[in-house]
Amino acid sequence: MRQPATITALTTAGGEPTGSTATCCRLLSFEAESRLFFRLRATVAWALLRSMLSGARLRLSLVILLSAMFWGSLYGIFVEAFSFLDALHAEVISLLFNAFFSSLMVMLVFSTGILIYGGMYCSPEARLLMTLPAREETVFSHKFQEAIWFSSWGFVLLGSPMLVAYGVVRGSPWTYFAMLLPFMIAFVVIPATVGGICCMAMVAWLPRLRLHALSIALAFACLGGLWIGWSTLSTAKADSMSAAWFEQTFARLSITEQKLFPSWWLSCGLIESARKGATPNEAWASLSEAAKFLALLIANGMLLQLLAGMLARRAYRLGYSQLAGEVPARRRRPIGWFDQALMNAGSTASRPLRLLVVKDLRLFRRDISQWSQFVIFFGLLGLYFFNVRSFNYNNAYASMIGFLNLAVVGLILSTFTTRFVFPMISLEGRRFWILGLLPVHRDHIVWSKFLFSFIGGLIPCCGLVLLSDVMLGLPQRAILIHEICCVMLCMGLSGIAVGLGARMPDLREVSPSKIASGFGGTLSLVISSLFIMVVVVVAALPTHLFLASSAFGPGGTRGLLAWAGSAEGVAASLATVVVVGLIATFVPIFLGLRSFRRLEP
Amino acid sequence: MIEFDHVTRTYGPKTAVADLSLAIPRGELFALLGPNGAGKTTTIKMLVGLLRPSRGAVRVSGFDLVKDPRNAHLHIGYVPDEPCLYDKLTGREFLWFIADMFGMPRHLATQRIAAEIEHFELGEFADELAESYSLGMKQRLVFAASLLHAPDVLVLDEPMVGLDPRSVRIVKDLIAARTREGMTVFMSTHTLAMAEEMADRVGIMVRGQLRFLGTVAELREQMSLETTSLEQLYLELTNPLAKRQQREST
Repeated sequence: MRQPATITALTTAGGEPTGSTATCCRLLSFEAESRLFFRLRATVAWALLRSMLSGARLRLSLVILLSAMFWGSLYGIFVEAFSFLDALHAEVISLLFNAFFSSLMVMLVFSTGILIYGGMYCSPEARLLMTLPAREETVFSHKFQEAIWFSSWGFVLLGSPMLVAYGVVRGSPWTYFAMLLPFMIAFVVIPATVGGICCMAMVAWLPRLRLHALSIALAFACLGGLWIGWSTLSTAKADSMSAAWFEQTFARLSITEQKLFPSWWLSCGLIESARKGATPNEAWASLSEAAKFLALLIANGMLLQLLAGMLARRAYRLGYSQLAGEVPARRRRPIGWFDQALMNAGSTASRPLRLLVVKDLRLFRRDISQWSQFVIFFGLLGLYFFNVRSFNYNNAYASMIGFLNLAVVGLILSTFTTRFVFPMISLEGRRFWILGLLPVHRDHIVWSKFLFSFIGGLIPCCGLVLLSDVMLGLPQRAILIHEICCVMLCMGLSGIAVGLGARMPDLREVSPSKIASGFGGTLSLVISSLFIMVVVVVAALPTHLFLASSAFGPGGTRGLLAWAGSAEGVAASLATVVVVGLIATFVPIFLGLRSFRRLEP
Repeated sequence: MIEFDHVTRTYGPKTAVADLSLAIPRGELFALLGPNGAGKTTTIKMLVGLLRPSRGAVRVSGFDLVKDPRNAHLHIGYVPDEPCLYDKLTGREFLWFIADMFGMPRHLATQRIAAEIEHFELGEFADELAESYSLGMKQRLVFAASLLHAPDVLVLDEPMVGLDPRSVRIVKDLIAARTREGMTVFMSTHTLAMAEEMADRVGIMVRGQLRFLGTVAELREQMSLETTSLEQLYLELTNPLAKRQQREST
């Protein structure tokens, strides 16, 4: 192989002398390349932080506030839970840690693998880096660090309050808290690297089968998780929360206690480091044991990183080329019967509106990122609601659980309306040269988005609320109240997202996620959350009092509280919900329409 | 400087580039022409190392793009059809990143970056984040980045897209000057007037095969159309109906 590590320089663009034979370029050492990528990440991160501080203060404050609230709530719950478990069954902790960390390990393999696939093979940055004299292993390392950041922040947010709470409850020494972060980082590197290795190997040597291989692996993981969940929850109602139920559940979860799993090393290391030790010798022995497990995690992580680097050198360019050489399959997409029926139903006057709805429906169906998230979130909710009966709530609780489930459905719908519906008008703005020239009134565009969102959300949401109520065994009138609230939630959330989307469009941005994460999107999410809170609180209190007084008699309540718990009180609360729903729907839509009519793209 | 040695690239059953053999010497400006789907982009992607040939080899300054991609990349500057920048880097930071990636000495990089910023008139927005740039501004920055390390070979994929007339003039002058100084330019374009004006040789690709290779004058001579423009010659060569008529008449 020829090794001229330098090339000859010419004059600069402006004709400045550089010395025609001056040494201009050289290949960087591995360390220099790594430093360069580190500087790149630091510069990008700093710029991102600055732009967030200057342009998205509301969003940043909300993220920090909500994260702190979430962290604090989880911490409180875990302190209670660990105090309870510590008093009853100390050995249970090990099992719970193993179950938690092993499931997290599986999720990290998949999430990091998918993120590395996107970063290394599909991003414009990868295309740039592939044309520069960068080492394959440093590009992998660069994209790996990016992926691990995105895939493991959830673990930190969820795991840190749990582990801190555990240390506090056990009265652990300071070394436990000092070792927490190293333990967490050393652990996440292992499954994340495995995900990266699997991704590179699949793209390089199974390019055509990668989707099938990923689907099969995901299906196995999901089936395993479902089997454990189902077998745990499908225990007879009467047995749930009993000693036998606990024993059976723990026996099932013991499958996660495998000594070859990094999750086991992490659990053992954490438990050992949290031990106080009655004597200094015992404390020292626990600390040494914990350090041994930490060293085991670090050593395995480093070995896997070495292997991944070697694989990247061999497989990255090959895989990139394989993937870049793929021609997307051309598929004919005939007009579906549903689209046809929708286009032809109704009067001629409303046809433009229906055509716009059909167009949005097609875009939604053909965008896997939209409907897959929709299916995953609502599917998981459905699974939970289907098993809600296993927890054997009594009637008083069942009503409140029903309202909480309604709030959860509303919150999930609000994330969808903010993420997918809010940016729709902004994205239409970029295609305004098509829509603007059509004989369609601008109002139709806004109303079509509203109808699309409202009807699209109504069917799954009402279905889920019905499922939850039936599984909870709620009376018909409670179900009716929940369904009315659900309809108003769907209507209001669609109105807020569409109205604010039309009022505050971002016509320059092409990425829906960036539009949704801007000021308008954040405002839409905040207003949506407040709206859900108002609807649920206004309806829940009178209904709960009404059901309680029906079941146990009027009790000692008087005055306003007694009236609130009467049939009139429930009717008044429902009327308030309807009025609030109508305001949440039509005020933003009205503002949006007024703004959209004047829009100059 | 650039060598395509019996290069074939297939996409499943479809052959995008068939047995391409082509050598472009130092200091030549070569324009690759052809209709959509002819295999131009595949050829360019193989030349910059984004795609590997199914058969054959591509070499730049003697370095094989598959066996020794890093050394080959050291000699290549690439301007893609869609400029790729880091949104959260300023133009100047991006130029520094490229200079550092090519291992340029600090003093030389400082000098070159200042010169390219001046030459491509980037000064006004060089310290703004790239996310605020228009397409033309991005394209000018990518041009500046591709020339920073004074590559032996400059690969241009539809280089004038998004550029205003003044920028087009700057780029044309620059390419001409650099070619005179010994840089080899490989350009894929649909702008026939530019190819006619600037290229030393043109290659016309149709369905993965190089149908013609030579100067515009040679093309005229070959097609016995003395006074016509490159546009007419190109249409004659790439239009199957016209070709059939030509065969029948001869």
